[in-house]
Amino acid sequence: MKLFDMIIMCLRNLWRRKGRTLLTVIGVIIGCCAIIVMISLGQGMNAAMDNMLASWGDLNAITIYGNSRYIWVGDGNSNSEDKPKLDEEALEMMKNLDHVETVFPKIEVDSNYVTVTAGKNGRYKANWIEIYGVDFSALKKMGYVPEQGDYPSGDDTLHTLVFGNEAAYQFRDSKKRGQNSYTYKQMLPDGTWSEPFFDPMTESVQIYINNTKKPNDDGTYQSGGRAYEFKMTTAAVLEQDNDWQTVYSLMIDMDFAREIINSYNRLNNVKDATEPEFSQIKLWVDDINNVDAVETILSDLGYNTSSMASQRKSMQGQLGVVQMVLGCLAAISLLVAAIGITNTMIMSIYERTREIGIMKVLGCFISNIRVVFLMEAGMIGLLGGAIGTVISFIISAVMNTLGNDTFANMFGIYTDGSSPISIIPIWLVLLALAFSTVIGLISGFYPANRAVKISALEAIRNE
Amino acid sequence: MSFIEVTGLRKIYRLGQEKVYALKNINLKIERGEICCILGTSGSGKSTLLNMLAGLEKPTRGDIIINGVNIAKLSERKLARFRQENTGFVFQSYNLIPQLSSLENVGMPLMFKGWSRRKRDREAKKMLAAVGLKSRMKHRPNQMSGGQQQRVGIARAFVAKPNVVFADEPTGNLDTKTTADVMELMVKMCREHNLTLILVTHDLDIAKYADRIVHLIDGDIHSDELNKAVYDPFTEKDGDKSRQPAS
Ligand SMILES: Nc1ncnc2c1ncn2[C@@H]1O[C@H](COP(=O)(O)OP(=O)(O)OP(=O)(O)O)[C@@H](O)[C@H]1O
Ligand SMILES: [Mg+2]
Repeated sequence: MKLFDMIIMCLRNLWRRKGRTLLTVIGVIIGCCAIIVMISLGQGMNAAMDNMLASWGDLNAITIYGNSRYIWVGDGNSNSEDKPKLDEEALEMMKNLDHVETVFPKIEVDSNYVTVTAGKNGRYKANWIEIYGVDFSALKKMGYVPEQGDYPSGDDTLHTLVFGNEAAYQFRDSKKRGQNSYTYKQMLPDGTWSEPFFDPMTESVQIYINNTKKPNDDGTYQSGGRAYEFKMTTAAVLEQDNDWQTVYSLMIDMDFAREIINSYNRLNNVKDATEPEFSQIKLWVDDINNVDAVETILSDLGYNTSSMASQRKSMQGQLGVVQMVLGCLAAISLLVAAIGITNTMIMSIYERTREIGIMKVLGCFISNIRVVFLMEAGMIGLLGGAIGTVISFIISAVMNTLGNDTFANMFGIYTDGSSPISIIPIWLVLLALAFSTVIGLISGFYPANRAVKISALEAIRNE
Repeated sequence: MSFIEVTGLRKIYRLGQEKVYALKNINLKIERGEICCILGTSGSGKSTLLNMLAGLEKPTRGDIIINGVNIAKLSERKLARFRQENTGFVFQSYNLIPQLSSLENVGMPLMFKGWSRRKRDREAKKMLAAVGLKSRMKHRPNQMSGGQQQRVGIARAFVAKPNVVFADEPTGNLDTKTTADVMELMVKMCREHNLTLILVTHDLDIAKYADRIVHLIDGDIHSDELNKAVYDPFTEKDGDKSRQPAS
């Protein structure tokens, strides 16, 4: 028998019992819609999650924390003694790792070490401001954008400052008392932002190293003396960005940061002071899919690492559970549809017993009969899958336009409100079509086997 | 070697503890081109014998050799191929597919052989013309009389140019006039192509068309004799031995 003839025969048989075929197909449509819509919701959740994570930070980045006592990452009871050092050697190693594109080390100057003043006679004071030693030449590459001024450049940037967007608001006005001596960034009634006490771009700024041996009554410190005071030039104030560390802090040259730490140790007679290590190194990996591999290498070496990718993984795990539950519900409806197909096919065998018998007597190969039956079942699946896919697109569009909130709340679905809650990628369409066809074929397997076992004699016996 | 050789054929049906000897011990040789009638009363085993000759049932014991092939030993697939190439069937209740037109019904054996639609339609049209149903090609079985349906059945049996045609009470559902028409048609077609026809009936009137009459009683051959007076419809007289139909 020619394939074409088998297809015609299959279609004719389906058409012969239009009503029943239609009902069976509807079963598959419902199952298929359920699966596509559920998975599309999962896709929407993933996209929303990625959006959210991207707004928190760079998905390609890994941050390695040093052994600073202020950072508690990891298991908490790990002793800093047995942690690997985050020094130049480590930096070099990381730079040479596969897939690592950029490294951005930072040295954190303990906020206890220095006091920053601005204005005439040091009127404005920041006692506990964070200061980071960085590689100025990498600022642009890191995505820091100046709001005022420009990236530090030139030969001598040792005493150059870059203000985080809200760093200037950390300064107190020492001529005022109480509440009035503080300020913070806020939206004013006319829609503009409040100003800090001084303009960091024009006002002169000094850093002095604290003499922590003799604290003032209010817990602040006096300067260690003229040798420990530095006049700074401000190169830029950065735009608001999502790096929570630098928004409130100052950036200085890496070498200057080391100098400050060493000077502090000298001034305050710190015993067994060691060469300052990096407090943090940020790595950029070429592809988001390689983040995990690189992070694993580093954490296996004992470093404290953190990345959006690893957060993403754990969140994906949680979302995965939700998606699994939804998927199982959908799978049940497809299972019901599959049983429907089997049922339909068995009924049609009873009706066609005689026809099958005649076919056998006239010399039809058993394999042909089997193929025709499987085709019919597969066709019901494919048809249901195709129509189901179209309907799923409609449902998806309706859900996306009718508003995220209603549906999201209804199903307890995570959404960030900006990305569509239901996304149907092309692979899902292909998967749905293939899946429903395969379901059809599987459902048709048993009936097809029964069909070929029909005894020709039994079938053509005179009634 | 004869075209069909049956030796030591036995068929036992088991109904629980009970054994039914449908065929006891059949030995039979049928030549090519012979029109052989298997005659017998109801329950004598006629249909059982025919079905076994056609390979629809496996014998309990014995061999059936048709055209040099022992069909009792063929696999299911080879048997299907054997039927495609060698056998045609005419049934008592026509057994046409109700959803198909006569043209499609007649073309079915060719479809199973893998012929293209165009080729088999051409052949089926020729056949339908030969059985006088040129004007009924698009008709469904339920739009035709019993005699017309049986003629479609005959066209279907002969369309693939088989070597042997099996007919189990082909006129059982027809009236006397139509019976004659149908019998004459079958005999004519067999004679034209020198085909073997195995005809099962309990009706002596029909047996007269055959060259040879095998009489079955209770699963055994009671008598096997040549028909001394073959009724040849084409000369319109009894007793003419000439097997060449007048055209
Ligand atoms: N499938 C079967 N199971 C059990 N017994 C059977 C079966 N088929 C036939 N028989 C028995 O075998 C015997 C011969 O049956 P068969 O159908 O060959 O008779 P027949 O000569 O064709 O009769 P009829 O003229 O009524 O068609 C009968 O006794 C019948 O009961
Ligand atoms: Mg019978």
